[in-house]
Amino acid sequence: MLSRLNGGTRKTSGGRDLRSTSVSSVVVLLSLTVLFAAAIGLQVVRDTRYPLPATTEESLYLTRQAANRIAFSFRPLGADLYWIRAIQYYGSRKREIDAASLAGAKTAAPSPGSRPALNYDLLYPLLDITTTLDPRFNIAYRFGSIFLAEPYPAGPGRPDLAIALLEKGAQAMPGKWEYMEDIGFVYYWNLHNYPMAAAYFNRGADLPGAPWWLRSLAATTLAKGGQRSASRLLWGQMLESAADERAREAAGRRLQQLDALDQIEQLQRLVDAVAARTGTVPTTWPPLIKAGALRGTPVDPRGAPYELSASGQVKLSPQSPLFPLPVEPTPYGPTS
Amino acid sequence: MVAFPLVTVAFAIETVDLTKDYSVGFWRKRPRRALDRLSLQVERGEVFGFLGPNGAGKTTTLKLLLQLVFPTAGRAQLLGCPLGDPAAKRRLGYLPEQPYFYDYLSAEELMDYFGGLFGLGLSERRRRTNALLDEVGIGAERRLQLRKFSKGMLQRVGIAQALLNEPELVILDEPMSGLDPLGRRDVRGLILRLRDRGCTVFFSSHVLSDAETLCSKVAILAKGCLVASGRLSDMLALQVRGWELVVADTPDALVAALGTRATRVVRIGEGRFSLELPLGAPPERMVAELAAAGAKLVSLTPLHETLEDFFVQRVGEGT
Amino acid sequence: MTSLGWIAVNGFRESVRDKVLYNLVAFAILLMGASLVLGQLTAGQDLKIIKDLGLSAMSIFGLFIAVFIGIGLVFKEVERRSIYNLLSKPIRRHEVVVGKYAGLVLTLTVNIVIMTVALYAVLAYVAWGENEFARQARETPALDPALLKAIALLLVQLMVVTAIALFFSTFSTPILSAALTFGVYVAGYFSADLRNIDQVVDSRLTQTLARGLYYTLPNLAPFDVASQAVHGLPITAGYMAVTIAYAIVYIAILLVAGSAVFSRREFK
Ligand SMILES: Nc1ncnc2c1ncn2[C@@H]1O[C@H](COP(=O)(O)OP(=O)(O)OP(=O)(O)O)[C@@H](O)[C@H]1O
Ligand SMILES: [Mg+2]
Repeated sequence: MLSRLNGGTRKTSGGRDLRSTSVSSVVVLLSLTVLFAAAIGLQVVRDTRYPLPATTEESLYLTRQAANRIAFSFRPLGADLYWIRAIQYYGSRKREIDAASLAGAKTAAPSPGSRPALNYDLLYPLLDITTTLDPRFNIAYRFGSIFLAEPYPAGPGRPDLAIALLEKGAQAMPGKWEYMEDIGFVYYWNLHNYPMAAAYFNRGADLPGAPWWLRSLAATTLAKGGQRSASRLLWGQMLESAADERAREAAGRRLQQLDALDQIEQLQRLVDAVAARTGTVPTTWPPLIKAGALRGTPVDPRGAPYELSASGQVKLSPQSPLFPLPVEPTPYGPTS
Repeated sequence: MVAFPLVTVAFAIETVDLTKDYSVGFWRKRPRRALDRLSLQVERGEVFGFLGPNGAGKTTTLKLLLQLVFPTAGRAQLLGCPLGDPAAKRRLGYLPEQPYFYDYLSAEELMDYFGGLFGLGLSERRRRTNALLDEVGIGAERRLQLRKFSKGMLQRVGIAQALLNEPELVILDEPMSGLDPLGRRDVRGLILRLRDRGCTVFFSSHVLSDAETLCSKVAILAKGCLVASGRLSDMLALQVRGWELVVADTPDALVAALGTRATRVVRIGEGRFSLELPLGAPPERMVAELAAAGAKLVSLTPLHETLEDFFVQRVGEGT
Repeated sequence: MTSLGWIAVNGFRESVRDKVLYNLVAFAILLMGASLVLGQLTAGQDLKIIKDLGLSAMSIFGLFIAVFIGIGLVFKEVERRSIYNLLSKPIRRHEVVVGKYAGLVLTLTVNIVIMTVALYAVLAYVAWGENEFARQARETPALDPALLKAIALLLVQLMVVTAIALFFSTFSTPILSAALTFGVYVAGYFSADLRNIDQVVDSRLTQTLARGLYYTLPNLAPFDVASQAVHGLPITAGYMAVTIAYAIVYIAILLVAGSAVFSRREFK
């Protein structure tokens, strides 16, 4: 078709140039029309018959137009960059805060009105941008929420933001039972809101593919929320379902903290008994060892020796990796 | 469309009222006539010189024949085929003015590529590449990338590639430009060999001596108009119009004596003079006189009418 | 081999001699560097990030090759007057356009194939050193064949971009062609917005105009399924087929138009 030849040269009026090898304009226009019609038809077919699974939330796309436009086809890569920044930010802040506390600087837990100079203020915005650029960034929701819920100084102590982030993930991927489980954990562990925790565990259990134990976790939470045995169950499940080394480490640390709480209670009973027997409150371990009550200086599950205060209180060493111990949730349910 | 009469098949090139306007001007385009109603016939087997001063419209004509630009009016045929017909291009060779080739290729690769476009097989491409590059005097440097070639070497490669398909008609735009004297002699020989093979050679030039030594026929173009065409000998009063005599060791007395007869005397150096003699004075006598006076004869050349003289004369007549 | 084939192969040879394939070295260094550095920075997301990085780099490198060589394909030939010789050979002008296009597509394909092999090699290397937990946390296999779908559509998209660049280069200067091509590329990414414009503006005329543009501008966004592939979302065969068919038709439009323009050009 293209190669049709007009042959010879033609005389045209008005002194316009004569083109002889060129294909006649009619043929070109005709084929272009046909091709355009085909292109439009294919677009319509694709738009109606073959929708592509969306990776961007429409409402977010509209509200974050600017960011998305700049990034257009490189959005996932942008998300990766922000994820790396978020992790680096969290890690370096944590190190700085640890160093500061070792140096003896005052790093009291943030109370409303007085905020420490060293804080995690940028953590949430970084995670928010990450998950806006790539709304399916699974790990950013799951780890991000763990970091956010962590009480100061190990994290910003913002369970509300942790829940907000997970809810955003649940909106982008409504089928993920893990997010419900994670929200339940935040309610349980950080907010001590056991009915809400149980409600979220149940919502997760309703989703397809959820593990069987999520339902029983919900029941246990309702029945014995706040008791150490329930906590142990929770973290035990977490350890088992850990998706990643970090999650596994976090769960293991929680379990060790629970062990430490048990050990502190045992030691306290021992110290109290010795005090009652001798009439003097021991403030160091050697007297107890000499008395035969202990075989050696007691250490926590991470190997840091426990401390004994002047008033005879057994305490976790602030140098222990397990420090600070969680505030024991107020027991809830029929047993309380 | 006007059908060509059958007899035109005998012509290698035929143009009828071929006209080309270029539009010039950046804002207000206006036509500028580069070629004006050129009607030309080149018979097969001829070596045809297409002559004219700079800007005459020679390159324009050749580009029209190759369909690189399109005619404003008129028509043309090559080897009996309408312009742009690949069947004609298959039997045709072309050397553009100041040829440029892909400089990332070597001469050999370029010839191979073009040979492929002609549909030649591998062994045939090899054979013709070697034979033609030998013929135009490109030696071992044929394996070099063309960016390392000089202007004259590129011109030679350009001539070689124009002959790849063993064409029936070659169209050469200033084949001698950029060549050294040896190269010019080689190309002259090549054109004559092509003629002997029965190939039609149509070349443009503004150097009359090229045409004189090669052409059976010429056409002369000036300012886009054909001013003359036909046999060179018929057309030009190119008979000798005088002599140029160069002598050395000339005694002063002799110079004075000669000066009266010469139309022009130029002193070249110590005792060396160049004398222009009119046709009337037979040079043989003068030479004898010189010898008698003890002067030495350096050279004696016939003076031709130059192409430019001819233009001035013919274009003047035309207006 | 046909004339078209000869022109294509010569175009490929030109890009090889012009050291276009050196970009592969840059690509390899980028990926290998990333795989070494990322493991220390990210929480078990190395594979996802390497996939994102690899696909994005392929897209950028490919885009640069398509545009910057595409715009020069015809222009260089005309500017340096090598076209005089080429057109004196027994070929037609549209064969020059299509042959040059095929040559650049060949260059792009070779590039993308080598980049793909490099990407899979790096993924295999990283997956080999991966621990058990990271393996379980991944949404998709390390050497996910779904990536090939994304890469195939990327190549097809680059072929459309090449055709756009080539089309512009048949009648305008390289700088203008580059600007126009990038313009169409960006517009092609946002053309979905044009379709939904009736939700934003009320003017009938604007709506009709936007809809017209949506259907005439090349729609490039559907070719970008990198994020779906990385997250293991389904990309159906039907979707692939329709999208590729759309590309073929659009490339045909551009080549017909480009050939028509080129056939009418004078080389003064
Ligand atoms: N692209 C162009 N645009 C406008 N005018 C042009 C163009 N090319 C050539 N011309 C004009 O056409 C006329 C003929 O030019 P052409 O190149 O055919 O001359 P020529 O006989 O080949 O000269 P030369 O011996 O210098 O090569 C000249 O007056 C020139 O100015
Ligand atoms: Mg010229």
